[in-house]
Amino acid sequence: MSLTRSAIEAMAPDQAALTAAASLLKPAKWPVRARAGGLIWGECQGSGANPYRVAADTEDIGSKCTCPSRKFPCKHAIALMWLFVEDGTAFQPSDIPAWVGDWIGRRRKGAAPQAAVSAGEAKSLSLAQPAVADKAADPKAEARRQAAAQKRAQDTGRAVRAGTEDLDGWIADQLRTGLPGFLAAAGERCRRIAARLVDAKAGSLASRVDEMPSRLLALRPEERIDGAIAELGKLALLTRAFRAAPDDPDLRREVVGSETREELLADPRAPRLASLWEVLGERVLTRRDGLVSQATWLMNLTPGPQRFAVLLDFFPASAGRRSGAFVAGERFPAELVFYPAPAPLRAVIARRDASCEARDPWPETAADPYADLGEQALAVPWRIEMPVLLPEGRICAEASGAAWWRSSDGALVPVRQPLPAIALGAQIEGAVGIWDGTRLALLAAQTNWGRLGFDAGT
Amino acid sequence: MQELEAALARMRSAWMAGGSALDHCPDAWRQPVAGHAEAALVALAGHASSVLFRHTPASPIEPRPLLPALALPILPDELRPLFRRILAAKGGPSIEQHLIALIACRGFAVHPSDWLPSPQDDGAPDIYAPWIDWARAESRAKSDDKSDAKAGDQADEATLTVENYEGWSWASRRVALANLRIKDPAAALAIIAAKAAHEPAERRLRLLEILETRLSEADAAFLEGLAQDRSDRVRAIAQACLARLGRTAENSSEATELAAMVEVGKLGLFRSRTRLVVKALKNSAQELRRQQLFKLVGAATLARALGTSELRLVEAAPDGTSDSIDSFIQMMARTGSDSALRALLQVMLADAAPVRHLRALAPRLSANERRTLLPEIIARDTAELDTALLVAGRELGTAPLAPLLASAAYTELSGLLDAFRGEDFRQTPKHNSLGGALNRIALLLDATGAADLITRLGQCGLSPADPRLDLLRLNAALTREKTP
Repeated sequence: MSLTRSAIEAMAPDQAALTAAASLLKPAKWPVRARAGGLIWGECQGSGANPYRVAADTEDIGSKCTCPSRKFPCKHAIALMWLFVEDGTAFQPSDIPAWVGDWIGRRRKGAAPQAAVSAGEAKSLSLAQPAVADKAADPKAEARRQAAAQKRAQDTGRAVRAGTEDLDGWIADQLRTGLPGFLAAAGERCRRIAARLVDAKAGSLASRVDEMPSRLLALRPEERIDGAIAELGKLALLTRAFRAAPDDPDLRREVVGSETREELLADPRAPRLASLWEVLGERVLTRRDGLVSQATWLMNLTPGPQRFAVLLDFFPASAGRRSGAFVAGERFPAELVFYPAPAPLRAVIARRDASCEARDPWPETAADPYADLGEQALAVPWRIEMPVLLPEGRICAEASGAAWWRSSDGALVPVRQPLPAIALGAQIEGAVGIWDGTRLALLAAQTNWGRLGFDAGT
Repeated sequence: MQELEAALARMRSAWMAGGSALDHCPDAWRQPVAGHAEAALVALAGHASSVLFRHTPASPIEPRPLLPALALPILPDELRPLFRRILAAKGGPSIEQHLIALIACRGFAVHPSDWLPSPQDDGAPDIYAPWIDWARAESRAKSDDKSDAKAGDQADEATLTVENYEGWSWASRRVALANLRIKDPAAALAIIAAKAAHEPAERRLRLLEILETRLSEADAAFLEGLAQDRSDRVRAIAQACLARLGRTAENSSEATELAAMVEVGKLGLFRSRTRLVVKALKNSAQELRRQQLFKLVGAATLARALGTSELRLVEAAPDGTSDSIDSFIQMMARTGSDSALRALLQVMLADAAPVRHLRALAPRLSANERRTLLPEIIARDTAELDTALLVAGRELGTAPLAPLLASAAYTELSGLLDAFRGEDFRQTPKHNSLGGALNRIALLLDATGAADLITRLGQCGLSPADPRLDLLRLNAALTREKTP
């Protein structure tokens, strides 16, 4: 079977998939489209922060996508093939990347979908093309909708406020009954208060509290009391700040929930920055609520106040393991849109050009990383993780085996382990890590052995 | 600051015990926290701790020595993902040693963030000795092991001598001695003779293995001195080396006993050749005894007991049961003279004996001999190419494609590809066998052969992106000639 419009129509699961694919036909959504022989692949900027990787075999119409959709083929795969049929020349001849090779190695030939049967439904690419929607003009209905939305917002605001006060009381209870008891029962206690926060519409805050036991257990036993004080302290700061400014977008994000990608892109307050970015690394975390968070850290290679960005996505753990959209060390020009915050960090990619071989050095940084961390802590004191760029130094180990980064001037930062063996034997020309208040989880370093990446997944 | 630190400690203690920290906080905090005491206090305490105080190690720390550079260039960046993928694949760990050796044969070293030898990795190519030393220093630092502690950076010393021996780390000593043995056997013998007694048994064994290269009568006195060595294995190797030199203190009764269990036969009517015949014995107990005797008796001694010489004994390939032939060849490998060994090798090949019997001879072969033999062994080996890989040793990536195309390995590969092209090829053992078969072949072929095979496999329907071709692709891409 070769790739034709008819073939695409035949193997699409239903008309809805074709319609959804039609919304992805804009070239701007595909910063990467390439081909080699009968293979095509691309990256599609969907609703998430990280693009989806899509590959297809034009000879037997097998396909693969990293999105969590259960439809097969998904709208991204259909869109990729549709774009290819419409204009194959837009797909650049290229070497087959490793992630496409992995898929080819694992797939079964002949496993491509046969014509999908949709009872009584005609599937058509032509019908899938988006039509201009008629906008019904009904001012009264619109007014009613707005009033209802306003009431809902007020009710939600009251519920969230009550939830934060509830949390403050809970924090005080944990302290009054003793932190050792809290640590011993952290899982159960945090789960209960998180459930109350969910009921109070404070979803983000609930997730943060629900994940607190994991963060505390990741510390050494002798560090957990101080870790609990830090965690509870940040929560108290956050709830107090939110009640003082409930409409602040960053605080709402931390307590209630994030804006959608579309809302963010449409927000005139959202800072935008076009620059050259380097992918530092990826951290994947499986949460207690069944979601997996995928954080891709980027560094701005152009000197300026906005040094870092993190692309954050969530998907169900049941969707299986997803490969990252980027390769650590990859560099590309892109315009990022940041979620508004006192110290913006989380962002989405608005526009991205193809990866390039730019050899720009890493930005320079102050000799004392604690000064940078102190500034971040003052700007956003409830933030759990803070990225920091370290200057030249060495990774050293205590007699106990505990690892430290040490600057040429003697500044010391404890480093999370395990570390690759080479880390102790390399001259660090610069390093980037995520500081969690106790330890630094390294993401990448420039060394006398070239660029080193660190597996920062948890 | 000290007052604040003390106050924070008291607050912490209060929360440890359970209770309010209000009475323990700094005076300046009391009024602002009124009404929300505990939550506000923990906010202030947590924030103060994070921005005002720094972590310090419990004991002084110093950086370790930098990982030294190696004599070979590092694998090019564009090939490193391929290397990592091969190592991470299902069959990766089983071919790791071979993979490292192949890359070294082609004149490259692996990037240290992709692979580092372990402290005990004596099997790594010699080029990695500085990294083994570094890993050992790391391991010693963690275990407080002071042995070999005097060994330091020998970068200032160009040549190993008796005087500077202790200044070299073990891995570097071993490599230096091995190289010296080739160039100046007497100088290497002098160092080993002077220092072996001070080394632990495992290292004495490694030193003796070095003496096996260019073994000569000049080594006899030292070897005879090892007759009283406290290690059985050291004594056994010393005796084997002496046997190769025609000097033996073996028990003649054992030789007589073994001679009674074998025969000297003739092969051919005209220009008949002498050969050893090792027929099946009456029972397994006798078979077992014969195998034991082959391990105890030397080649020259057996020949004498049979009324012949070593060289005459190997005029033709031995005849007999497969296990007994293996036992005889292992005896020759252990104790046969260089000339007898090579004569045996030639007749085994000429008489078309199964190549698996040649495995025992591999350790006695030079690098050149391995490379020369390899094409014929590949052509005659079984589909698993076990003998070819063993004989190749570290001389990987040197065989042309032609002998492979005539081999059982290629026949099996073709069969696996036919199955792969089938309509519904599933994850059967055959599917997994394809990767293993391709890896073994990829380790043996030269770069041109690897590239040609990739082309052939593409014509057979295997996608050029198939990860099972990774090792062939790496082989084909490693075209830098090895720096001698």
